[in-house]
Amino acid sequence: MARDLAIDLGTANTLVYMKGKGIVLNEPSVIAVNRQSGEVLATGHDAWDMIGRTPSYIVAVRPLRGGAITDFDITERMIRLLLQRVGVSRFTRPKVVICVPSAITEVERRAVTDATRRAGASDAQLIEQPMAAAIGANLPIDEPVGNMVIDIGGGTTETAVISLGGVVALEAIRVGSFDIDAAIQSYVRREHGVAIGERTAEEIKIQIGSAEPGPQDRNADIRGRDLVTGLPKTVRLTAEEVRFAIDEPVAAMVLSVKRCLAKAPPELAQDFLARGMYLVGGGGMLRGLAARIERETEVPVKMSPQPLEAVVLGAGHCIENYQALRGMFMGTRR
Amino acid sequence: MISLSFLTGLFTFIAIVSGATLLIMIYLDNRNVRIDDGIANFRRHIDALSPEARQSSVHRNNPEDRRNQ
Repeated sequence: MARDLAIDLGTANTLVYMKGKGIVLNEPSVIAVNRQSGEVLATGHDAWDMIGRTPSYIVAVRPLRGGAITDFDITERMIRLLLQRVGVSRFTRPKVVICVPSAITEVERRAVTDATRRAGASDAQLIEQPMAAAIGANLPIDEPVGNMVIDIGGGTTETAVISLGGVVALEAIRVGSFDIDAAIQSYVRREHGVAIGERTAEEIKIQIGSAEPGPQDRNADIRGRDLVTGLPKTVRLTAEEVRFAIDEPVAAMVLSVKRCLAKAPPELAQDFLARGMYLVGGGGMLRGLAARIERETEVPVKMSPQPLEAVVLGAGHCIENYQALRGMFMGTRR
Repeated sequence: MISLSFLTGLFTFIAIVSGATLLIMIYLDNRNVRIDDGIANFRRHIDALSPEARQSSVHRNNPEDRRNQ
């Protein structure tokens, strides 16, 4: 008998929670495929190491963009491999709860559930990421108080106000930490005439990226390809330059938080001032982002203790209490 | 003959009225059950989201909570 599973199928990382066991898998949402034979060559960390470094017959891709499936076939194969790795076989078909962005369309929703069922699940249910994040971040969502959670993932930023186990207000945009990486790539290309890959852009973001000036501002030497000569070249980037480069996606994230605050009923708005808002997701770990949101909204912002795992832990709690929390799944709300 | 058909009609009428009353009572009873079910379901839903209920799933995976235990 297979144990039921919760999957956070994120644009950046995929996490799997097994009923009764906890998190059993955490790796990048990347798959490497042989273009000619269609064979899967690697997934997760192994495939991530291949990004931008493959010969022409291998393609290492992220099958999800903006939280949505861009390649149905590859996503199905990735889910099938994930399920196999956690012990699901043809004869053991578990129930699966999958976390998806709240702004997902009907077509995308069907694509995810179909891919999961074809991959071996007996039943596939979807849960909105901010709701799962609020459960996983240990917010008191069972009480009649306003809980605000900001989930910044690889492809989406979702802000939700939750009270009494339900979503009161929600704002979602398809801007995430990959847009920050893309903004850095584009800036370096435009201002320094150097092409860099997405992995280098991500490293720059982690090392010197910030949303607000701070004492930890540093410079970094980065290596790429000169667009004029075609030769390898090193350029020095300052933290201020990176802040300028990523301002557009960061401003979009802050604006979406403000829009959600504006949608919240006044009775709950006062709770935010007292209790603050909670940041989850890998994108929320950008240096100075909490301070910037706090400065622009004048509401305290706190970082969840487990920003990367909160969503899958919340979904895992739903799989542990499947019958009682069935009403939380998308499409089953009364 | 006339009295027999009268009695048959009377019993038929009583049977129909009794049947209808029974159906109405069952319907009303079910409706009450459904209202109660709604309250019970909501209670179960909220209870399943309480910190105590999350102890086994969320807290078990939280290193800070494990340290405090």
